[in-house]
Amino acid sequence: MRVCVASLAALTEPVLLATPTTSLTGDSLDQRWRDRLETVLAAGAAAGASLVEVFLESTDHIGLLAEQERITNVSPAFGRGAGLRVFLGDKDGFVSTNDLSEAGLLQALDQALGMLGLTRANLGAHGFDGLAALRDHGASKENWLRQCPGLDESTARLLEATALLDRHGDHLQARRGSYARDWQEVLVAASDGTFARDIRLHQSVGINALAADGDHRASLGRRYGSSGRPDDLRQWDAEASAVDLCSSARSMLYADYVEAGNYPVVLANRFGGVIFHEACGHLLETTQVERGTTPFADKVGDTIAHEAVTAVDEGLSDGAFGSLSMDDEGMEPQRTVLIENGVLQRFISDRAGELRTGHARTGSGRRQSHNFAAASRMRNTFIAAGPHTPEQLIGSVDRGLYCKSMGGGSVGPTGQFNFAVEEGYLIEDGQLTKPVKGATLIGEAKEVMPRISMCANDLELAAGFCGSVSGSIFVTVGQPHIKVDTITVGGR
Amino acid sequence: MGADIITARPSALHASDLAGQLQSLATELGVSRWDLGAACSTDTSVQVDRGEAKQLKGAQRSSITVRAWNSDGLVGITSTSDLSPAGLARALAGASDASTYGNPDDSPGFSPLATAPLAQLEQPISEPRGILELLDTLKQAEAELLGRHPAISTVPYNGLAQRSSQRIYLNSEGACREQQLSTASLYLYARAEEDGRKPRSSGAVRLAYGAEQLDVAGCIEEAAERTIQHLDYAPIATGRYTCVFSPEAFLDLIGAFSGLFNARAVLDGVSLSQRDSLGSQLAVPFLSIHDNGLHPGNIGATSFDGEGTPVARLPLLEGGILRNFLHSEATARAFGVAPTGHAGLGAKVSVGPHWFEIGPAGSTGEQAGAANLDRFSQDGIVWIDSLSALHAGVKASQGSFSLPFDGWLIQGGEARSIEAATVAGDIRAVLKGLVGFEGQAKITPDGICPLVWVDELSITGDA
Repeated sequence: MRVCVASLAALTEPVLLATPTTSLTGDSLDQRWRDRLETVLAAGAAAGASLVEVFLESTDHIGLLAEQERITNVSPAFGRGAGLRVFLGDKDGFVSTNDLSEAGLLQALDQALGMLGLTRANLGAHGFDGLAALRDHGASKENWLRQCPGLDESTARLLEATALLDRHGDHLQARRGSYARDWQEVLVAASDGTFARDIRLHQSVGINALAADGDHRASLGRRYGSSGRPDDLRQWDAEASAVDLCSSARSMLYADYVEAGNYPVVLANRFGGVIFHEACGHLLETTQVERGTTPFADKVGDTIAHEAVTAVDEGLSDGAFGSLSMDDEGMEPQRTVLIENGVLQRFISDRAGELRTGHARTGSGRRQSHNFAAASRMRNTFIAAGPHTPEQLIGSVDRGLYCKSMGGGSVGPTGQFNFAVEEGYLIEDGQLTKPVKGATLIGEAKEVMPRISMCANDLELAAGFCGSVSGSIFVTVGQPHIKVDTITVGGR
Repeated sequence: MGADIITARPSALHASDLAGQLQSLATELGVSRWDLGAACSTDTSVQVDRGEAKQLKGAQRSSITVRAWNSDGLVGITSTSDLSPAGLARALAGASDASTYGNPDDSPGFSPLATAPLAQLEQPISEPRGILELLDTLKQAEAELLGRHPAISTVPYNGLAQRSSQRIYLNSEGACREQQLSTASLYLYARAEEDGRKPRSSGAVRLAYGAEQLDVAGCIEEAAERTIQHLDYAPIATGRYTCVFSPEAFLDLIGAFSGLFNARAVLDGVSLSQRDSLGSQLAVPFLSIHDNGLHPGNIGATSFDGEGTPVARLPLLEGGILRNFLHSEATARAFGVAPTGHAGLGAKVSVGPHWFEIGPAGSTGEQAGAANLDRFSQDGIVWIDSLSALHAGVKASQGSFSLPFDGWLIQGGEARSIEAATVAGDIRAVLKGLVGFEGQAKITPDGICPLVWVDELSITGDA
């Protein structure tokens, strides 16, 4: 069992598309739901629940795929659903349903209550005083969907991208461009009075190329993502992305396999941040504390990383893939300093994490959809900039590996992590030399964090998707160039 | 605790009603050709943590995917979880609108086999058990596993789940497929740690048609045994080793490179195979691979694919020779063959395997693999128990892989757990570097396979 970040890629200018044919026509999830939700919450509280939470969701998705000179897939999807969570002390039951009628919600409530040995037949006094005034983070976002480009415009952008790959690439056997637009309206109500609404818009665009020449093959990709920027597909610099990808494909097509061993490694900025996400970030989620699977559970105030390392998780950066106006439990996000100069400061926590571990909530309760209970999850997570230049980091290595582009990775229940290097180069005598492929970085969090000895001054974020207990969510990883003094490199 | 909650079976979808509704809506919209895939399910699951309920979960899910063809023969698609009349209408209208963007070079059609007879699967439908009963079962299983060894301190990943589901395929030419199914699963992943040593983890999974049929004792036994076997570990020196893959690990590897057999990937130019690869020798002559979604060991088998085509056993490699590709209707048409029952449902239809049968081809003499293999009889054998991070460490279109694994190094007839290591290679070299098979084939959730010996793979370790 592992949690993982997959398909992570650089965040820059976002992307986007819109589909007039799938715009929502049903009722909005808003103040009009108050009565129905209060009925459900009151029933749950009267049955003896410590807390009842209802998460309502409406979604509108478009996925597009262009291959070579054709649009080969247009996939709209829409839906609605609810997730009901009932707490009794620190225990909870969760039920999801597509039936949002009052009867449907009450049936789901009954099931959740029953999981905890409660029943609505035992109605009694309760402490539910009604919902607070609606905190409507979505009010200013009502037009986002309409502001996104339509299918004509968005498909044209993808075809432009695949044409640019053809123009700038060599030996390209397959060229792909993909686009996804995820619109989500959420309404959160809980028996502690929480009543909050938001509208989210996430867009991502990706380009991929497979270069082939005889037995030599190289497949590479880039993905860019944003939140809350309806105009991003129009702003995307497709040519710069194509030039960047084709340059990498050209380098990697004839690359040799990396020689296995232990090396000093310099990881590039942006998606290089997956190392922190995997090696440490997951272990600072209270879900890991609850499971007893983090070596850092009792280390707040202790030095767990090199003093060069300060790490942050936040949900506030404008347009970043992991930013949000409120989490999926209705709490506004915070900027959470996880590690400061190597010393562990805080954990990432949600409602259940606070109940079960005592770590205060950080606005990090997140879930893929109404089918999942929220859990403590990362948002925009990065290592802060340091004082050096990237050239100083590379120049400090006699023989090592430079990881320009990373694939996905994962971390296991004992803290072992791994991630694939998509584009790597040897460092010899402080200089980048020949490209190498097939490298996998492996290690353990406790061991690698003290080895991050140098951080450069070029922090950037990259967008990606993180899969874990509450499903696949939008996140960013990030870092400046960093140097790891030694790490195991799997290869040939 | 109150009365146990038994989550009802999903509200049944009525195929004929659904067909009638779609036909009426299609007539209103002027859509003459459409098809639909629908699914609904009811799930119940429990997790525990050191004797206490950790999370109890239930879900009712429903979804439909509608395709509509326009007058130019182009197809559009829309999916939704809203099965109300309004939701169906919106989905069909959305699909009709999306057909404007259909691909004229590769437009799917109805499967010519969408009304062909289906295989009869023996899949008993089990009544769901109460969630508190599931909870008790899992608590007992956790307690037993914790009691197997003092070093096993937690079972951080565990779950007992049951599902009742229904799926339907309909089209405007009268195809009507329907299947109901009940399944249950149990997984136990233990964490063990001894003083001064690194924590170790391993586990086991069991599937069945109902919770009462789950092999709970076997799952506990296997999870305990595998976890305890990894307690005494040592680093391994980087180098090239003869590796013995467990059935699970080899099936994972073949699954990750199933693009070799995938006609969609071939047509898209991202497979290691080409159209003319059929008939070529991809592997040693003693290896055969079939895809057989109908195998009785395949819990949750489906009798028809996303396009309504019957699922059937298909030879992929026979005697190491590539015999067939997996097909949808569209790819089959492009190759001039019949669909094989491996399609999804989409505007661009995905293709994928169901369940692999991997084993000897029945060759003899020099064409046969090494006989009577015994991994404990040789020194320096790496026994790979499980592979990790296949999503990150496999380059399917390049053929290369570099994957972390759990396993053992065998010396002097004894297996000692390997601390942390990766195995790297090229799938084409693996298929041609097989030494032979060891032992009887084992049924796993992904297929059936014996232990597989492979020569000269790169292992990276810490020693």
